Amino acid sequence: MALSSSSSSVSGNEFDHLFKILLIGDSGVGKSSLLLRFTADTFDDLSPTIGVDFKLKLMTLEGKRLKLTIWDTAGQERFRTLTSSYYRGAQGVILVYDVTRRDTFTNLQDVWLKEVELYSTNQDCVKLLVGNKVDRDSERAVSQHEGIAFARKYGCLFLESSAKTRINVQQCFEELVRKILETPSLVAEAKSVKKNILRPGNEPPPPENAGSCAC
Amino acid sequence: MIQIRDLHCFTVDVCAEDAAVVERVKDRVRERGRQWWELEASKGAAWYLHCQAQQSLSFIAAFNAIQLRMLIRKGIPPQLRPRIWLFLSGAAKKRSTVPHSYYKDLVDAVRDKTTAATRQIDHDLDRTFPTHPWLSSPAGQQTLRRVLVAYSFRDSRVGYCQGMNFVAGLLLVVMKTEEDAFWMLAVLLENVLLSDTYSDNLYGCHIEQRVFKELLRKKCTRLALHFEAMDFDVSLLTTEWFLCLFAKTLPSETTMRIWDVLFNEGAKVLFRFALGILKMKEEELLPMKHADELVKVVQDFARRSFDPDVLFKVAFDKVGSMTMQTIDKHRRKQQPAVMAELAGRSQRIM
Repeated sequence: MALSSSSSSVSGNEFDHLFKILLIGDSGVGKSSLLLRFTADTFDDLSPTIGVDFKLKLMTLEGKRLKLTIWDTAGQERFRTLTSSYYRGAQGVILVYDVTRRDTFTNLQDVWLKEVELYSTNQDCVKLLVGNKVDRDSERAVSQHEGIAFARKYGCLFLESSAKTRINVQQCFEELVRKILETPSLVAEAKSVKKNILRPGNEPPPPENAGSCAC
Repeated sequence: MIQIRDLHCFTVDVCAEDAAVVERVKDRVRERGRQWWELEASKGAAWYLHCQAQQSLSFIAAFNAIQLRMLIRKGIPPQLRPRIWLFLSGAAKKRSTVPHSYYKDLVDAVRDKTTAATRQIDHDLDRTFPTHPWLSSPAGQQTLRRVLVAYSFRDSRVGYCQGMNFVAGLLLVVMKTEEDAFWMLAVLLENVLLSDTYSDNLYGCHIEQRVFKELLRKKCTRLALHFEAMDFDVSLLTTEWFLCLFAKTLPSETTMRIWDVLFNEGAKVLFRFALGILKMKEEELLPMKHADELVKVVQDFARRSFDPDVLFKVAFDKVGSMTMQTIDKHRRKQQPAVMAELAGRSQRIM
């Protein structure tokens, strides 16, 4: 069974937890570039994502061997009818905006947070706000202060990054995963997940076990 | 790995083995060109423009139509593509129903307008085939922009959907003139593909994905069951295939060969080739347990499919019969489910 139980063998590697992470945000903010930098440490001018793409990353954090499935989604509005089913079962969501384009920041509040509320099935799902493209500081249209205020208001972690220059890319994923590991309900859920990691769907999630009480 | 230019000037990174395949395909394309010229000499100039069986009951026309279908499946020579595509697809006819200056007038009328569609187009221009010297040049990008913007105003309900940039980009490479590319894009969206494939909720795209999954279950049962057991949603691969008509997935000549038959035989061939790609990798995919490996194997195979004839053989000989009627039947069957799904979504949003 693929990507199912904890501590099964993955390409010869054992892992303790499997986490599903979703990258969302407007078209062209750099979601695919962040993912490529994190998984392959390269930077390329990438074509727009059509539909959904995903990558796998194995990492060790705080002594735990982790397997991350990271889902990269198309940003254009109409693609939301294709991507919303992928929110199900995610332990972490990364909301990305481009610090040089103000509309990509305001859309997070107007659009993307609503998508998370509607389609995320984990109450405690960790949200990380990422302001990307800080290498273009002279064109900045959203201040760091505004990012911090947004994150505080909506209970998100916050970082500014550059997929181009590597700044904070590794940290983004590490901080998110660290927070997931600190959230007992998410860790328990990741252990109990047997199915439906790779399959989107609109049916409600399977009943949670005792480990996922509201805490 | 070495970097080469393929038949249509796209830069591709290939291993020595693939570079040899690309060269062989170039030779074969030249040979095919000679065959078409010889036929032209024996059957008369542009004989292919007068032989659609439904237009004439004559035996010769019917015979020519069958011969043409077989010839097209072997590939239209690149120099003849603009003319034959315009005719086969119905784009020439579509253009003939409007005033001669339609495209120019449309482009002039919308030049300085800004809409959500034009903003998205502007974001995508330099991300559309950066590996092609002309499409990545300012002139190429402005041409692509004019075509996409003009279309977004022709049908404002569709506007612009990502994916159309790759389709229009490759059309420009083939058709050479932007007006021809525009009409090809129009006929594709309005007549060849299922309507609403690119519209604001991607209704048609949702339908085609469901139809594809049903066909996979029928024609590639073991693989479909394997995907189900893995909880792997094949749309992860195929959404891009159906929205870019393989332009973002397969090498340029292989994509154009598929479009040769797409314009002559209809949208059913998209299913044929999507099934063909998976079928070719079936034995390799069946033992796989991890979705990431599976996706990589299929994507690498597609990216390296430089020889169209290998894929054509499987798509036409191993997939079985597929008529437009069957596809339409499947489409109708999926309508209620897709409508319910999309309606459920809009209710939740409101």
